[in-house]
Amino acid sequence: MWRFAFRRVFGIVLVLFVAVVLTFGALQYVPGDPILILLGDQSGDVELEARLRAEYGLDRPLTEQFVSYLGGVLRGDFGLSFRFASTPVKDVLATGLAISPVLALVALVLSVPLGIGLGTFAARRKGTLADSLTMFVLVLGISIPNFALASFLVYLFAVRVPLLPVAGWGTPAQAVLPLVLLIVPAMVYIGRLTRTYLLEVLQEDYIRTARAKGLREHLVIYRHALRNTLVPLSTSIGIIFGGLLSGTFVVETIFNIPGLGSLAIQSVFARDYPVVMAVVLLYTLFYSLINLGVDLLYGVLDPRIRLSS
Amino acid sequence: MTLLRNRHAVIGGVLVGFVTLLAVLGPWLAPFDYEAVDMEAVWAPPGGEHLMGADALGRDVLSRFLVGARVSLGVALSVLAITLVIGVTLGVVSGYVGGLVDTLVMRLADIIFAFPELILAILVAAVLGPGKLAVVVSLALVWWPGIARLTRSLVLSLKSALFVDAAITSGTPTARILLQHILPNIAAPIAVRASLGVGFIIMAEATLSFLGLGVQEPEPTWGAMIRDGIGALRTDPHLALFASLGLATVVIGFNFLGDGLRDWLDPKASSR
Repeated sequence: MWRFAFRRVFGIVLVLFVAVVLTFGALQYVPGDPILILLGDQSGDVELEARLRAEYGLDRPLTEQFVSYLGGVLRGDFGLSFRFASTPVKDVLATGLAISPVLALVALVLSVPLGIGLGTFAARRKGTLADSLTMFVLVLGISIPNFALASFLVYLFAVRVPLLPVAGWGTPAQAVLPLVLLIVPAMVYIGRLTRTYLLEVLQEDYIRTARAKGLREHLVIYRHALRNTLVPLSTSIGIIFGGLLSGTFVVETIFNIPGLGSLAIQSVFARDYPVVMAVVLLYTLFYSLINLGVDLLYGVLDPRIRLSS
Repeated sequence: MTLLRNRHAVIGGVLVGFVTLLAVLGPWLAPFDYEAVDMEAVWAPPGGEHLMGADALGRDVLSRFLVGARVSLGVALSVLAITLVIGVTLGVVSGYVGGLVDTLVMRLADIIFAFPELILAILVAAVLGPGKLAVVVSLALVWWPGIARLTRSLVLSLKSALFVDAAITSGTPTARILLQHILPNIAAPIAVRASLGVGFIIMAEATLSFLGLGVQEPEPTWGAMIRDGIGALRTDPHLALFASLGLATVVIGFNFLGDGLRDWLDPKASSR
């Protein structure tokens, strides 16, 4: 188990190092000289230019810049923003950092039981009309991009029947539609997987045994079958969380939520590259941590994995 | 024949065929120039001269919808072509040659898998600048490892097949073994995987365009049309709704077609 855990942690450190190299490299190749952009119409001011260059550390050799960038990232310091002169990227990120990861996590926590419920519902009625209908809804849910779904839902529930606010952030009502849009694709994905895994497990000998000894059907499902689908299902949590992180970009853009995603998009257009790179690094970190958590959980849940490594 | 009995494949095929037809014939079917600004027609409702209405600049939504289909499918096919060439080549070499090449390719794939895909796309868009090139490059970058892994596992399972041994012993050059013996045998599962991928590639392209990182004005895409339309949903919902409908139809079509093809090739999977 410890060797398994160590290998996973080492893998993540490697990925994060690659991410730091990539983002640093990207910063060197992005178009435009940030200092000239910052200077704007004061571009003739040589003294100010030299001072800004020194403040941003851009007058030092590249290797030195990389070492200090790496050191900074390790301490949670992503340098200075290009858009807001002399403001640390850390401060620019603060608001979004309290919104986006929370939004993704809440959506994850809600979509897992909903998805498992839907999948179980369909699997228990395999071959019936209820199963076909559920599967149809699931395929639909996977196929409709969440921003397309957003236009339907906003039109229905905020325009036609004005129950919910069209956009904005701060009140609980304003969180409903964004959360629904994040949950639907995740729930649908989990639902399809649950149905597949459950139908597979229901073929096992121990299920036949459980039924043969007269166990009631819901006990067969919940105590014997569903538990064994949780193991393969847990490996997909990482992929789902990755999807949710991407989803926050879309949802934040639609509803004007001041999260990390909408900040990153604005920063691409404002050429505030240090902020973009910080969001890239943070999201890679969240994604890696969730995957690490899932791997370790998997090891705990399934002794076969733990012992074979 | 059996493929026609698969409901998913038929529905998917019809939807995909219909949209492809629209995309190919789009420029000839379009009643207006998709770039033509008409201040008299700003947010014209659907019906009358503008069948799907007009947008904030008075441009004909139907014309932009048709040209947008062409742009979306074009981007998706370019991404598909690039991922297939890179993925299949690296997968075949990695699986057949093995050793250091195999390790390097698979580690690289692992690292790419370790990033959330949209994050890589944003990194690429930041460096290349938002636009069509950034979309194609970033999606190809994200999609080739999946194809490479699949190809590698298929090649590995064929490598020890008798007919490959026979070809080796009879002195067939390696390149010929790969092209004439291995490739035809792995083509079908890769094609299914590719057809399943098209829907998701179109969705990813639309997402990037929706976020403003993809195809840029004045070229129309459904993703960007939805973004423009969502802001006006309260007063003029037709732009967002038509574009959303188009996008959902294509993705559903490709997913159904892919599901159907998979069941057709692997009847065991269809019972699930």
